[in-house]
Order: sequence, then structure tokens, then C-alpha cells
Amino acid sequence: MAALRDQLVSFIAALRAAGVRISVAESIDAMNAVAAVGLERERMHEALAAALIKDEADRAIFDESFNRFFAAPRANRGEHPDQRGEQVSAGSLRGRPGEEPFALPRDDALARDHEEKSSPSEAKPAKKAAAARRHDTEKGKDVEESKDAARNSDWMRGRWERGEAQTRDESPTPGIDAARVARIRAIERTAFDKFSDLDYDEARDALAPLIRRFRIRLGRRLRLARTGRIDFRRTIRAALQRGGALIDLNFRARRPRHVDLVILADISGSVRYAAQLMLELMAGARGCFRRVSSFVYVDHLAEADFEDGHLVMTPALDLYARSDFGRVLGELWERRTGLLTRAAIVVIMGDGRNNRLPARADLVREIGRACRAVVWLNPEDPARWGTGDSAIKQYAREVNALVPSRNLRELQVALAAIA
Amino acid sequence: MLTREQISDGLERACYVTNERVETAIFLALALEKPLLIEGPAGAGKTEVAKVLAEILHTELIRLQCYEGLDEARALYEWNYQKQLLRMQAGEQQGLRWEELSEHIFSRDYLLERPLLKAITAPSRVVLLIDEIDKADEEFEAFLLELLSDFQISVPELGTLKAHERPVVILTSNRARELSEALRRRCLHLFIDFPGTEQERKIIELKVPELDAKLADEAARFVSAIRKLGLRKPPSIAETLDWARALVRLGVRELDTDAVRTALGVLLKHEDDRVKVESKASALAPRRR
Repeated sequence: MAALRDQLVSFIAALRAAGVRISVAESIDAMNAVAAVGLERERMHEALAAALIKDEADRAIFDESFNRFFAAPRANRGEHPDQRGEQVSAGSLRGRPGEEPFALPRDDALARDHEEKSSPSEAKPAKKAAAARRHDTEKGKDVEESKDAARNSDWMRGRWERGEAQTRDESPTPGIDAARVARIRAIERTAFDKFSDLDYDEARDALAPLIRRFRIRLGRRLRLARTGRIDFRRTIRAALQRGGALIDLNFRARRPRHVDLVILADISGSVRYAAQLMLELMAGARGCFRRVSSFVYVDHLAEADFEDGHLVMTPALDLYARSDFGRVLGELWERRTGLLTRAAIVVIMGDGRNNRLPARADLVREIGRACRAVVWLNPEDPARWGTGDSAIKQYAREVNALVPSRNLRELQVALAAIA
Repeated sequence: MLTREQISDGLERACYVTNERVETAIFLALALEKPLLIEGPAGAGKTEVAKVLAEILHTELIRLQCYEGLDEARALYEWNYQKQLLRMQAGEQQGLRWEELSEHIFSRDYLLERPLLKAITAPSRVVLLIDEIDKADEEFEAFLLELLSDFQISVPELGTLKAHERPVVILTSNRARELSEALRRRCLHLFIDFPGTEQERKIIELKVPELDAKLADEAARFVSAIRKLGLRKPPSIAETLDWARALVRLGVRELDTDAVRTALGVLLKHEDDRVKVESKASALAPRRR
């Protein structure tokens, strides 16, 4: 039935436009699913959902779009059941023969959404309404009017604006808190330099599962391997009991890997959030290393510690001083005894912007020689590396790895590469 | 091939109380021969779907419980090293050449089949349950992709093994981590939430018929009320049933504040949850004293 197929194709296109990711394979599944269950509305609804919606958080969008595209048959029309399919598609295509099959219903929120995308100025009233609505709910007032006016457009545009986060605030999905999951996912992808204090607090909530995962990952890397070099003597000995057959293999115990971690994090304005989150993440994974020494710096070096989730530094630093990493490197180098050893991995978090003061990349080379590795995590966009007062290119030559870590997700990947 | 109605009947006969959404998803998984990914809170009956499905289809349920560090050797196959060795020794005594010998020792007889291989090579259609896939590593998830899209497995020494009969694959996830898009794309999706009060009452009546109907209703109401309190661990259906059984054993006649307090340990497994519910018990209990 070509009409129905077209109808499904434009339905899927509308879902995609609303931000739901649907692959070609999934749309084929959807067609097959409808073919399998038939056109009974409720069944078709669930069948399409099973084939197309792979994230419960998208369910609200799906339901809404479905209701718009496949209008419920009017109660007392009394048509022959065979014509039901026609009825389903006709209801949503507004019944005009010869109408362009891909045309979306223009008079609803979806169409509005399209217009908003093309002309941002038109989006403003909706935005205002949305803001007003949020304000109202904050005050606990129930203003039905603005709610209704804003619901559709706000709902669609919210997804559009930022990582689908806001839309889920209202989507009532009990059990798994879909809104929270979506928010965490969005915050994981938000660049550190776009962070506000509010984002930072949310990011700290998102950190707990990350710490757990990071610790497990690290633990697995550092764990003694089950396999490895065979301990010949013990294997032969065990084989003696079995007439010489090497039934049980014995492995030579590996020496545990001792890793000291030295963290050096820039906490000046530009990269503050990135540094604090990294320090907190590392504090959580402390058990995986033999010793962790954390330092923070702006223009001087200070020892850092985490107490109840708060960063404590001794001595206190002036956060608004001009960053001077060259001097900080000098201070670290003076403390090298017992700190910068062969067992140590040095992790530097900073943007390498040095206010045109001496970069002292030579000291980074010296540190690299003394230690096992130097890894530099840069929260800045790689496109901006080496521009202006950035000395990152000079440092890049001397470190073992230079990894971009613009958001929590990248940071996590970068940290996993350390061990 | 089962029809939609047969599935509906089958679920009912297996005492699995369900709704349109679940039935349609199961039907499609069978009709389209696609894996079904089930998400939802712990204890909402995700694993049960696979068990019931095996029962309806009168077939075997093969279960793979995922955990951190699960690898191919545990999930797919392992060569039976000891058996191979013994065979080699025996072969030496018979004077077999290496070529003859190696043909032997790398055959199916020397393969220890783990759940995935078992499901693929089963002579008839089985139900394969990959439980808590979110607990497994991302590497393992990637490895599953070949299996889920083509229902085949490559064993280097034997070549590619293709399923005679595609198994019915059910994956469950509690969302301990996000699953990859690639995996989601290959599956149909079903979200199972805790049942509503009415549904839960039905479940209690089906599974604990000894409980007085009125009490069952009150118990269902009470449980769905405390699930809304934002507990650390909301009670699962299994716990509700345990609680219902406990009420029977304790000879509770009506669900008042005291009755609620005595058996709360069956329902709640965290001290702070218990304190929270107890403080509100008088308001929540259907009948007051």
C-alpha cells in the first residue's frame, strides 16, 4: 500500500526532524513491523515504537507525533474494516488527493519547529513563552494559558537547543529517571569552557558513575594478568601427578605494577572547571595507584587535596594572577626528589596559555626523562592550539601524549589512556 | 509461527500479566526475527519475559549473565585444552601424524560450548537471554554485533558457524551505562516499567492465590504508593510477591500500620528506605487503627 508507505516515510522524517535518530535499517524494520501486526491503531502504535524508539526518553516525542500523523478513527463512521487502512492515512494526509505525499502537516507544532530552525527571529515568542512558563512553575503558580501556548514549541525547541536536555524535565518516565539520564548525557558533552556554576554542580553529579567506571577500567589494566609467562618448574611439577601430561598450566606471578601519579592542574579562570573535575575524578581512583600527588597552579604551585568534595590547596593561590607555567615547572623541578621517579606518570591539565612568559619546555623534557611518562590533557579546542599566547605546540614536542579533553566524555577517554 | 493472539494467550497461561505494548514487542521479535532489547527498572519483570517466552515456545532457555570482564572465552567457546592434550598423547602412541591429529583436536568434540555458541548451534529454535548487557564491557558489546545481525559466529579453526534456526534473542539492561547506538539499531526496543496498581493486584492474585482478594488489593495499592516516595531501591515485583506471601504466613487479616511495620523488611532492603516508609506508614496504610 503505497499511500501508507509514504505516510510512514514522512512520519519517520518528522521524527528525525524532532531529533530522534533513526537509521535506514530501523525504518525498514518499522515497515516490516506494520506489515506484521496490521493496521489496528494501538498495535501499530506499539509496533512502530518497538522498531523506531530505542530510548525511552524519546517516547513522548514519538507518542505525540504518532497521534498527529495517525489520527484516531472517528468513533461512529461505521466503515468497512477493509477501508480502515485508507482511513488511517487519509486522516493524517488531510484527505486531499494529489497532495504532495511528503508534505508535513503545516498547522502544527512540527511545522512551527521547522520555521524556527530556518528563521531564529521567529523563535523568540516561543522562547519567551517558555521562559515565562518556567518562571511560573518556579513560583508554583498554575497558569494554564501560557502553558498551552508554549507546550508544543517549547518542547520541540528545547531538544533543538541543548542536547535534548530540557525536554525531559517534564516527560514523566517513572522508574529510570529519564530526565536525569538525559541531563547527564548532555552535560557529559558540554564543553568545559561553556560551563556555568550550575553546570559544574550537575557535572559533579554525573561524575560518580564515571569514577566507578574509570576505577574499574584502571583496575583491570593494572591487575595481574591471568595469563602470561608460564612458570615451567611449577607446571612440570603439577604434570608429574598426571603422568607427565601438562594438564594444569601454572603462570609466573607478575610483579604488580607500581604507578605513582603526579597531577598538575591549571585552576586559573579559563580551565578551572576542567581541572577541578579531573582532580575529583582522580581522587576517586586513588586506590589504583601507589601514590597520588596532586598540585594545582596559576602562577605558583600549590598542593591540592579533596575534602568532602571541596578542593583544598596549600598554600592558597591567587586565582586571578597571570598564569605562569614556566615558573610552576621550575618549582616542580626543585621538588623532584622522591616525586619525579621512574614509577611516576605526570599528568598535566592546562591550556598551555602562558601570557607570553618563558614556556620552559626544556623542563618538561627533563621531567619526561626522569619519569615514566608525561601526559598533557588540554581542555581547549584543538583548532585553537598554538594561537595567540598558547605555547602548547612547544610543550607538545616534549610530552608522551597530548590529548584534547574538552568535555567530560573526552576527559574520561583521555584518562583511560594514562594507565 | 505464533499469531498475536496465541502470544497473548500464552502469556496469560504462563501467569505473566502484561499489556499491549509488551505483547506487540514480543510478537514482532518473533515475526521479524530480531533481537529484543528490554530496558526498565530492576525487578520490573524483564528477565521473566525470556523465561515465559521459552515456556510458550516449548523450548530451551539459554542464559548468559553478563558481568564486568566477561570475555569471549566465557560467552562463546573455549578449546578443551586438557582433552586435546590427552588426545595428542593417545595419538602419539597410535603413531598418528600431526596432520591427522590436528584435524581431530580442532573439531567440535574438543570445543567447550558457552551459551552463545550453544544457542547458535542448537538444532531447534531456542530462546537466548543475554541478561544485564549493560554490566558487560563495551568491547563485549561490540563483539555481540556480528551475532545479533547475522546470527553467525566465526571460530578461526572451524570457520563461520551459522545458526540453523535463528534463536529468539532477548537482551535486558538496567542502564548502568549507555548502550551503543549500533546495538540499539539492531534490536527492537521495549521499555517495561513497574506495573500499575491494577496490574500488580492481578499479579498478586495469580501468584499468591492464598491471599485474601481485598488484602491483595490493599497490598498492591500500598506498594505502588511507596514506589512513588523516591526510595533508594523501590520494591520489585518479586519482592511484592514475597511480601504478599509473608502476609499470608503472618496471618495478617487487614493491612493496618502494625501489619505494614512487621514485614517491611521483605519489601525494603535499605535502612534509610525503611525509616522513610515507617515514618509515613500511618498515612500510607490503607486502614488505620
